[in-house]
Amino acid sequence: MENTNKLSLFERNFQETTIPGLSSMHAAARAYLNTQDFPTTRVERFKYTRLTKLANGITPDSTHIDLAHLKKHQICADAIAVFIGNGKLILPTEELPKGLHIESIENSDQLPQTNTKDVFAAMNVLYAHTGVRISVEKNVVLEHPVEIVHVCSGAYAGYTRHAISVAENAQAKFVMTYASDACLDAFSHVHTTIEVGANAHVSMEKVQLESSALFSFVDEEVFQGQQSVFQINTMTLDGKLVRNDLHIQVQGEHAETHLNGMYMLNGQQHVANYTTVDHQVPNCESHELYKGIMDDKSVAVFNGKVFVRKDAQKTNAYQSNANVLISEDASVNSKPELEIYADDVKCSHGSTTGQLDDDAIFYLRARGLSEKSAKQLMLTAFMSDVLEKISVPAVKAKVFKTINERFNWELEL
Amino acid sequence: MAGYTENELAKDLENQEYKFGFVTDIETDTVPIGLNEDIIRLISAKKNEPEWLLNYRLKAFGIWKEMTEPEWAHVHYQKPDFQAIAYYSAPKQTKKYESWDDVDPELKETMKKLGISMEEQQRLTGVAVDFVMDSVSVATSFKEKLGELGVIFCSFSDAVQNHPELVQKYMGSVVPMTDNFYAALNAAVFTDGSFCYIPKGVRCPMELSTYFRINAGGTGQFERTLVVADEGAYVSYLEGCTAPQRDENQLHAAVVELIAMDHAEIKYSTVQNWYPGDKEGKGGVFNFVTKRGMCENHAKISWTQVETGSAVTWKYPSCILKGDDSIGEFYSVAVTNNYQQADTGTKMVHLGKNTKSTIISKGISAGKSQNSYRGLVQINKSAQNARNFSQCDSLLMTDECGAHTFPYIECKNPSAKIEHEATTSKIGEDQLFYCMQRGISEEKAISLIVNGYCKEVLNQLPMEFAVEAQKLLAISLEGSVG
Repeated sequence: MENTNKLSLFERNFQETTIPGLSSMHAAARAYLNTQDFPTTRVERFKYTRLTKLANGITPDSTHIDLAHLKKHQICADAIAVFIGNGKLILPTEELPKGLHIESIENSDQLPQTNTKDVFAAMNVLYAHTGVRISVEKNVVLEHPVEIVHVCSGAYAGYTRHAISVAENAQAKFVMTYASDACLDAFSHVHTTIEVGANAHVSMEKVQLESSALFSFVDEEVFQGQQSVFQINTMTLDGKLVRNDLHIQVQGEHAETHLNGMYMLNGQQHVANYTTVDHQVPNCESHELYKGIMDDKSVAVFNGKVFVRKDAQKTNAYQSNANVLISEDASVNSKPELEIYADDVKCSHGSTTGQLDDDAIFYLRARGLSEKSAKQLMLTAFMSDVLEKISVPAVKAKVFKTINERFNWELEL
Repeated sequence: MAGYTENELAKDLENQEYKFGFVTDIETDTVPIGLNEDIIRLISAKKNEPEWLLNYRLKAFGIWKEMTEPEWAHVHYQKPDFQAIAYYSAPKQTKKYESWDDVDPELKETMKKLGISMEEQQRLTGVAVDFVMDSVSVATSFKEKLGELGVIFCSFSDAVQNHPELVQKYMGSVVPMTDNFYAALNAAVFTDGSFCYIPKGVRCPMELSTYFRINAGGTGQFERTLVVADEGAYVSYLEGCTAPQRDENQLHAAVVELIAMDHAEIKYSTVQNWYPGDKEGKGGVFNFVTKRGMCENHAKISWTQVETGSAVTWKYPSCILKGDDSIGEFYSVAVTNNYQQADTGTKMVHLGKNTKSTIISKGISAGKSQNSYRGLVQINKSAQNARNFSQCDSLLMTDECGAHTFPYIECKNPSAKIEHEATTSKIGEDQLFYCMQRGISEEKAISLIVNGYCKEVLNQLPMEFAVEAQKLLAISLEGSVG
């Protein structure tokens, strides 16, 4: 009998993928999806995220976005830029630096095996059509960042898949820009795999400036080799519903992982950050810091998981999540998890939710600051340890500019 | 290096046997195994219950049939066959004893082995013991003294007969029968338990205590405890458990409801040492308990637990901070060894203004055990100026065990202050080194550190219980605690 639950109805909006590298995962993804319905808040991983509107059906409609418009969303002027406008890929035309390869993912036949035990990740395996494959050769140090600009508009609905690999001793910076304008119940799911070779240094800046009518899902799966350093900063500044699913597999010894995140929300925005750091080998370190400010009726969800396997002795894993609610109707749900099967480890997590200290505001006001400036100063100080981690100056400038515009602040770099 | 090493400690932990494993031969009056409406009617009839209670049971049974067992906990076990359990087992002798001398000598012997000899307890400690042996109370002491103050402390069945208005009013008001699978099962088949009512303004002069025992193989134990502290009252209630060694898994699905009215305070302490199964993880008690307290204005409920037993524990003593300025506390030490699995923690639901909650949870995992903390702190919109502090620490003793933390923090009010921190580590080598260079042997040093690690929780126990808790910790981690 044909399955007619909401999930299979949703699936009918998409064409099956033709990317050869994904075919080996099709069976697993299909098998998993056959056991599922569209996730509701009764499903643990979607406990705080309501997707009723998506579940009730979308009517995808794709329009063309021209390059000039896409370029407006580019953050780093000096970056090698790849554009994806409503699922249409535009590769850079200039000559690429030696050792850097950027091509469409359409014909890639060797892609890493990824998680198929999540409804959207499984659908990505089955329905992704577009995306880039970026590889950085051994010992290559890229001078400029590579920026991938994702823009959605109208009633776009689609799955995008990227595969990035940075070979041993190489160094690279990536900027992932997610922007959208004039959406109408649009849906976008972007899945990126990042293979970090031995001794490689990779950083990724993720800037999310999505529209208020887009359901944006962004998954990253990272595979870290030995002595590699990987840093990812997730800055969510706008969007109706943004869900980040970050899964890091630490597979080589002495690897270092840094995960930072900041979210500043207002209106009726909903941002969910799910992170998993899976320590599979000994002697690794991970540091996680997520901070958020919630205004109006916004909702933030944080679910950070540190998983230490039996063999991963001498793991040091730290996780921290701090939230400030600045309006009566905002709310936050935080679930920092530790799952530990090795004994010689140092793991800790902390989570706080609070508001600005009245005494400190009084102190600043007694020194002549207006209440607004005093509060901004305090909130900036609260956010600063995450903002300082941004490694690309242009991204930092963009984040500050956006905060100033959206929240009517006067922050300075 | 000479002396006691961690490997030896791990070995000792594995080798340590359950100390309280024995079976008492008291003829029990058991209903046929299985569960259906007739069994429920039979239990109800045997207990001479009023009609409203029978209807309550039947309604709960109807709800239970529609429910499925929860699977979200971080535990793995063979699910019990609910049709293979005898749902009622009472000691044959139902005659109430007039004096201590009348008590069955074998029963006395049982208690002696448990180290809770009643003579001694009565004489030395002033603890009133309501001894529950397989679901029916067989001895109640200090009743008269409590009676003078108007304190009602009796078995649940007696309460149903003698104070039906109180039972009917409060039963199921904190843990409704629809709450969860095991609470519904309990509501349908509960056999007995304890009932306690402290009238307005009365400070209960002694610690109230019930010793639960599971006896008779194949008998599930479905206790129901209801403690009501009226306005301005205070009571400290102790619950302690040991069970005899048995091969098949035994199910324990209890419900505990606490009600603290305005300005009342309830302190509920538990020491749990049910049979944890043998070294291969065979047997042991399934402990699936629903415990919850309701705080009215300015009330306080404090849960303290020392969990060392049971093969599988699934237990979240919770507080609903409904009244303004109410306080909820949770102090827990959970020790797991061999193949034990514990998924335990608390829920603090803040509804009233200026409500405060404190959570201190200490987990110790040894052998091949899995120990999880799972907690919820929920600050609702109405909970202005709510405050929570949570601390969850885990100590790992071997490289085959696991320690996990799953805290849920939900905040809907901007004036709330919530702090949560958790750490997982093994005993610090620097701490050990510090002790040892001052001439303390490694074994003593480990014991010192573990004791210090649990101190915050043990300090919360009443005197009489703290001693027993320390004994249990020592047995559970024998070799490490001196």
